Amino acid sequence: MQEQKTNKDKKEFDGFLPFYTNAFDRVFISVVILIGIHLLWLRFMEPALPIEAATVISLVIAYYVVRRG
Amino acid sequence: MRNNPRIGWLLLSPTLLILLVFGFVPFLYVLFVGFNEWNIFAAEEGLRFSGLDNYRRLVFDEDFTTSVQLTLKFATFAILSELILGFLLAQMLTRKFPGKWFFRIIHTFPLMVAPIAVGAIWRLLVIPGFGPVPFFLDRWFDIKYQIGSYPDQALWTSVIMDVWHWTPFVTLTMLAGLSSIPREPVEQAKVDGANRLQVFWYVTLPFLRPVLLTTVFIRIMDAIRTVDEVWMLAGGGPGTRFTGIYIWRVVFPRTDYGYGSSISLITLYLTIVLCWLLFIAISGRRKGEVE
Repeated sequence: MQEQKTNKDKKEFDGFLPFYTNAFDRVFISVVILIGIHLLWLRFMEPALPIEAATVISLVIAYYVVRRG
Repeated sequence: MRNNPRIGWLLLSPTLLILLVFGFVPFLYVLFVGFNEWNIFAAEEGLRFSGLDNYRRLVFDEDFTTSVQLTLKFATFAILSELILGFLLAQMLTRKFPGKWFFRIIHTFPLMVAPIAVGAIWRLLVIPGFGPVPFFLDRWFDIKYQIGSYPDQALWTSVIMDVWHWTPFVTLTMLAGLSSIPREPVEQAKVDGANRLQVFWYVTLPFLRPVLLTTVFIRIMDAIRTVDEVWMLAGGGPGTRFTGIYIWRVVFPRTDYGYGSSISLITLYLTIVLCWLLFIAISGRRKGEVE
């Protein structure tokens, strides 16, 4: 009988993200989020708060995604 | 020898070197230029560091957001049509019918034509007062067809042209995918009483997943960077101002290299995010899914 291989068998990380990830995936997702937040910040938030705030928020989210994602 | 990682790296090194020199280094250069003002006709020559100014300008640039919307609309309709048509044609080519060999040869002809020539052919077909398409549409259906005046007509003509050009590619990949599906699961499903739709949904489609993923990726990347054939068809007129054409306008006629670089990078970002989301959706990496 053919063995059915699931994603869990690959020993990928099972964090809060809706799919299994490895370290590269989590770093990639963090970079994508970082760029996205900065672009949205430039468009909507910059008159109220400087861009450095977006960097701080992005880095906090990136840390959380890399550790727990 | 086979298990020696050094030999593996040695064999990979020419490819990695080429990728580094022709892929990664230009990317870093564009990234660098994207943070600078650089216009050869500006009063101040050379690069001038401007931080995030290009990106600040980009997020408020309505021409850019419109071009992204148009590109996504174009890519969505073109790729969906190509996938459906390509799958149906591949299904047809797995069966026997008279003249199959002839159809198989001629259906790949559009693939051999260079994009610029495809644009020229379609331009000749749709040019008002000369092309057969406007003539017969007017004569038979009383439809005024002028891609230079009606943006919707230009967009849909671009979609049809792309479908004409790239459906054979999708057909070939789907045909390869369909040919590799083992017969046993399909026959088992039929014995168990599955109808055609159920066989397609629960057996054929999961087996086609890797092929589908690769095809969609290649087509998305191609569709987003479409310039030459659409430029030849409509000259970047209304309805066809896609991102690639917008970048070309900024970089070449306006010689605004810094801003052009930032648009290129954001287009790359959007392409990567789109492909990655599709990869997660199609590849079966979501929790609870069996690969």
